[in-house]
Amino acid sequence: MKHNQQRRIGLANSPHGLVLLVVMALILAACGGASSGENAPAAEGEIASGEPIKIGAIFDLTGATADVGQPYSEGILAYVDWKNEQGGIDGRPLELIHDDYAYEVPRAEELYSQYVTQDEVVAFAGWGTGDTEALKETISADQVPFISASYSENLADPAETPYNFIVGTTYSDQLLIAQAWALEDWAAQGNTDTPKFAYLVNDSPFGTSPLPAGVAHAEENGLETPLEVPSPRGATDLTPQLTQIREYGANYVFLQNVSSPASLAVRNASTLGYDVQFVCLNWCANELLVTLGGEDAEGVVGAIPFAPPSTGAEGAQVVLDYAEANSIDLTGKEIPFVQGWWAMAILVEGIERTVMDGNDLTGENIKASLESLENFSTGDVTAPITFTADDHRGNKTLRMYQVTDGVWEPITDFMSAE
Amino acid sequence: MRSGVFHTTYTDDASLRPTRIMQVRIVLVMIAALVFPFFADGYWLTLANTIFIASIAAIGLNILVGYTGQISIGHGGFLAVGAYTAGLLASRLEMPIWLTVPIASFAAAAVGALFGLPSARLKGLYLAIATLAAQEIIIWVINHGDLIGIGESLSLPRTSIFGVVLNRGLADFGFYWITLVCLIGTVLFTSNLFRSRVGRAFISIRDQDIAAQVIGVNVVRYKLLAFATSSFFAGMAGALTAHYRGVISWERFTIETSIFYLSAIIIGGLGSVSGAIYGAAFVTLLPAILSNLGRAANDSGLLPGITSYLPYIQQGAFGIAIILFLILEPEGIVKIWRNIKDYFRLWPFSY
Repeated sequence: MKHNQQRRIGLANSPHGLVLLVVMALILAACGGASSGENAPAAEGEIASGEPIKIGAIFDLTGATADVGQPYSEGILAYVDWKNEQGGIDGRPLELIHDDYAYEVPRAEELYSQYVTQDEVVAFAGWGTGDTEALKETISADQVPFISASYSENLADPAETPYNFIVGTTYSDQLLIAQAWALEDWAAQGNTDTPKFAYLVNDSPFGTSPLPAGVAHAEENGLETPLEVPSPRGATDLTPQLTQIREYGANYVFLQNVSSPASLAVRNASTLGYDVQFVCLNWCANELLVTLGGEDAEGVVGAIPFAPPSTGAEGAQVVLDYAEANSIDLTGKEIPFVQGWWAMAILVEGIERTVMDGNDLTGENIKASLESLENFSTGDVTAPITFTADDHRGNKTLRMYQVTDGVWEPITDFMSAE
Repeated sequence: MRSGVFHTTYTDDASLRPTRIMQVRIVLVMIAALVFPFFADGYWLTLANTIFIASIAAIGLNILVGYTGQISIGHGGFLAVGAYTAGLLASRLEMPIWLTVPIASFAAAAVGALFGLPSARLKGLYLAIATLAAQEIIIWVINHGDLIGIGESLSLPRTSIFGVVLNRGLADFGFYWITLVCLIGTVLFTSNLFRSRVGRAFISIRDQDIAAQVIGVNVVRYKLLAFATSSFFAGMAGALTAHYRGVISWERFTIETSIFYLSAIIIGGLGSVSGAIYGAAFVTLLPAILSNLGRAANDSGLLPGITSYLPYIQQGAFGIAIILFLILEPEGIVKIWRNIKDYFRLWPFSY
């Protein structure tokens, strides 16, 4: 075995060791070059010139939520390109500095720190609940306006997290609206008793985030305490979880998860012969669920804050036209793509207002501009967005949709949790 | 001409850094460590702190895996124990960091010794699976934190040391000194441990456990002690992470964390204190270096569009690095470093 204290003199030199040394030296040298070469001009828009406005972003392209993370990131990138083609902000192009963080909190922290301290980005677009919550203290201290694809209620209170802005309906509100719909639906079917709810959620802060609000709402309405079942990461079979839910006797199963595991649940239920109403919240209510779930996804209901393009919303049409003109294939991923586009559009609106008011692009000024957004129209993709100094929940309403012949069709008008 | 390093006194033989070159080198490293934070920006300080904390945990794992020969893939769980102990003490009882870190380390040591019990009967792969259970059980308990009164994530109050509150702006700089002191303490302790009776007992268990028992080493006791010592440093690293980041959630301590540390000590060099540090630095820096390289290649027009492939390259690079090390230099970076030193020492007449 190894005798590490031994000092070996005149040991034959391994050529492999030296090769690796050279490779490592090259990597280190190139790394030094990377930080010094940062002032190289960025790819500039055709019309926009002038000093670029830097925005940081982290995406999940390879991690646990990559199925929806990928199209969401494409939507953000496409929006930035589109905005630069339109002339940027007052002639200044947007420069998005971004990387994949594989849904890993430490990697997110490292990239965030690099973009904020070295690249001096003025605003930031994040992704997951776990990493946004892990960063929230740092974000407040750095005063970096931050939007995230996480709509967790924990990020919505400006007293706690003054620089986090929530562009979608919060997960808690989504669940409350979905439960309110379920209660109506139950009564409409002619039932006089109360239904039973169950939650099948991603086993993470993202999955469990809306549950306390949902349980409280259910108990207020005289329901039995809903059953909470975690869906393990990377599961390939959810039959045990569904069996547990069936034994509990749930009438409605609320899925707070991304599309791939959600479609697995829908398929497993069909194989089990368990006929239950599935209700998806934002991140599984999209085309991918229909693609992966096939026939079994038929009839699934979804709480969708960002309207599917099939509804013909004006704001979605802009995105689709741009994608077509630039031959971006959106088959099966329109909803998250449009969502990324408009999330970025809201953040950039805050930056644009700051520039137009002639203010410096500081975190405080952008925050103030975002807080001045009142009924900002996203072309019917969402309800109009309003931020105020003491409420960073931009949107409190959504419509419920249902998969009919493979398409998400609206089944309600805009509903609110209040 | 000298043909080697020979010791003529016992004091000389027992010293940690016997030669003049080694002494000069350690002084240079210390000076560099003391000067570094005054020149580094926030990003490099973040990386340095991450590497120091990872090094403490990696040294801890190396005590168990590299020196005592017991496999553990539960290290992430022991980090979690330390992090949550420190987090609860700091947020509920408002304890200062100089109390939470030691208490959290001892708590992790106790839990580590408990989950080390299977090592009395199990070896090799079987023990690995038993420690995997430790990882999963600890994470399950924390994840379903209602059992012990923890929510999903735990926020800690701002750390203060000597009455100075480490606010943002000061946090990276202040924590640099805290993590540096902890790392130096860990290195001194571990380096000296293996010159003591206990450390030699650990090594004898690794080399031949039956022979160790025959010469009178209480194998079970020392195995548990190795688990406790290893987890002690995992707990310390976890507690430092909790204070440094301010918010902790279980997602930080999954099985991937355990594998991260295993690969760090394999790449750095099993059974070596400096190897654990090199490995932790390499594994932490690899994705950062790759993404900076990718950005430079993209921006300079050398390889336009490379950034869209970068995530996949990063994932592959980690695996390739481990395979390359296992094939080319199974003894890790520390061995490469030793080869370089030998090459120059014997130049130009190496054989």
